[in-house]
Amino acid sequence: MSAPQPLLAVAGLGKSFGGLKAVSDVSFTVMPGEIFGIIGPNGAGKTTLFNCLSGLLPLSAGTVHLDGRRIDGLRPHEICRLGLARTFQIVRPFHGMSVLENVKVAAFARHPASAAAEQHARLALGRVGMAHLADLDAERLSVAEMRRLEIARAIATEPRLLLLDEMLAGLTATEAAALCEQIRRINAEGVTIMMVEHSVPIISELCGNAIVLNFGEMLASGATRAVLDDAQVQEAYLGSAAS
Amino acid sequence: MLRRFLPALVPTMLAIAGFGVGLADPYFMEIFIMVGLIGTVAVAWNLMAGFTGLVSLGHSLFFGIGAYTVAYGQVGFGLGPLATWPIAMLMAAASALCIGLLCFRYGLRGYFFSIATLAFSEVAFLLVSATLWLGRSDGMMLPSSPDALRYLQFDHKWPYGLIIVAFLALTLFLSQAFLTARPGYYWRALRDNEGAAEALGVPAMRYKLLVFALSAVLTALGGAIFANTFAFVDPRSTLGVELSIQLLVFGIIGGLGLLWGPLLGAALLIPAGELLRTYLGSGFHGINIVAYALLMMLALLLPQGLGGVLGARLARPSAEKRATADQAPAVEAAS
Repeated sequence: MSAPQPLLAVAGLGKSFGGLKAVSDVSFTVMPGEIFGIIGPNGAGKTTLFNCLSGLLPLSAGTVHLDGRRIDGLRPHEICRLGLARTFQIVRPFHGMSVLENVKVAAFARHPASAAAEQHARLALGRVGMAHLADLDAERLSVAEMRRLEIARAIATEPRLLLLDEMLAGLTATEAAALCEQIRRINAEGVTIMMVEHSVPIISELCGNAIVLNFGEMLASGATRAVLDDAQVQEAYLGSAAS
Repeated sequence: MLRRFLPALVPTMLAIAGFGVGLADPYFMEIFIMVGLIGTVAVAWNLMAGFTGLVSLGHSLFFGIGAYTVAYGQVGFGLGPLATWPIAMLMAAASALCIGLLCFRYGLRGYFFSIATLAFSEVAFLLVSATLWLGRSDGMMLPSSPDALRYLQFDHKWPYGLIIVAFLALTLFLSQAFLTARPGYYWRALRDNEGAAEALGVPAMRYKLLVFALSAVLTALGGAIFANTFAFVDPRSTLGVELSIQLLVFGIIGGLGLLWGPLLGAALLIPAGELLRTYLGSGFHGINIVAYALLMMLALLLPQGLGGVLGARLARPSAEKRATADQAPAVEAAS
């Protein structure tokens, strides 16, 4: 392996809603194996960026390459099958399905046969420590469990890159720490992770590299430490967060 | 395997039993034929409405395609069911794909999808009602032929009952095979949250078209059987909105979340309608619509349908540990 190729390469990505520029000129690369952070205050365009990457929203400008293959303009299910999975900030399990069935829907992306899909769904549940909840009605889970279900569904599609959208928001410190540990373990198992998070301590602990968004523009990118020390970032994000 | 197909097997056995009773009693056989035929079409309709969240109010279009293909195929070209049934199913699949592509391309869902399907079926109703060679609103008789078997013309009702048992079994087992495999999971995921489903690798368009085509093909087969059974088709009984609404009512009363729910709805409501007609006489035209309205009020009290309540009661011991607060009032209301 000479000159490793970035797993995700985003160049000049922009997204406008009418006259409003939600995201403009965002460029960065994510290398295989890392945990990559996206930070920024509310309304900075983090979720919009995720929606563009996963195909839910069409781009207004720029390109996205996954492992050298251009993916912007593809449908969400195609992007998923190419190996990019995501979680949603607002977690909603499929209604009237058990926890296992929820994950099975995702496992079908790689395993068309029902028995194989079920087996892999159970594995995915085991990876987030929810094997014992498999037969429960998915709507009866706690918030922290629903977040883990969301992750289980995403990893059941066997992604190379996993996009986590504010998985830790609203969890207790203990729950957040447990989830962080799980994220780290999934990463260690070979899944590259890109995460949006509010909490600076968590980002600086988990992520080697990060970008900072503010009003849809990229303020800084690079090693997380350096990014967080950036004066502009201090002012735009940390300053307001401290108040 | 047996467990997987139990929801198809049990109603099929009951239908065979019903057919057996019908052999002894011709009046019962007539009711059995209507229940089996419309109930099975309602099962096909429910693949879309109950399992995929696509509530079609235009399924009479596909039923009508089936019925009129048989009628015109025989009157115009002398074709028997061996030719007309497959043609009817192909035509229904093609229409469903066209309508589906149009509706889903523009993201129609919920009420808008329902209204669009209703519009298509109403256009067909008006067109057929005005077309001379399709008998206009008077309908078409299927002429009796000396070659009775080729045109499925029998002196008794029971052979039609037998065909309908086969149609019911085919629909139930085929539906259950789809529902317990990947398409069934994808349909239910799409019903609930299309965006999340797509992000998990579900090709929404393809699977919505699949369920639409499957449902339309089975409905057209039902319409074709209807035409051969009654040897008569007219726009009102095969293309009218009343038929589409019947499917909706049977589904809601019987339970939309269950494979056999609509069949239960039909088995309760069609005989009830017959009884009402017997006791109130034929003067009350549209009495069944009033009855349906009353039943819809019942449906508000039992959102999972009678089948859902029944299922919850049967499954109570195993469901105890996750008995939900919202299920409890429904069970009480039934007792």
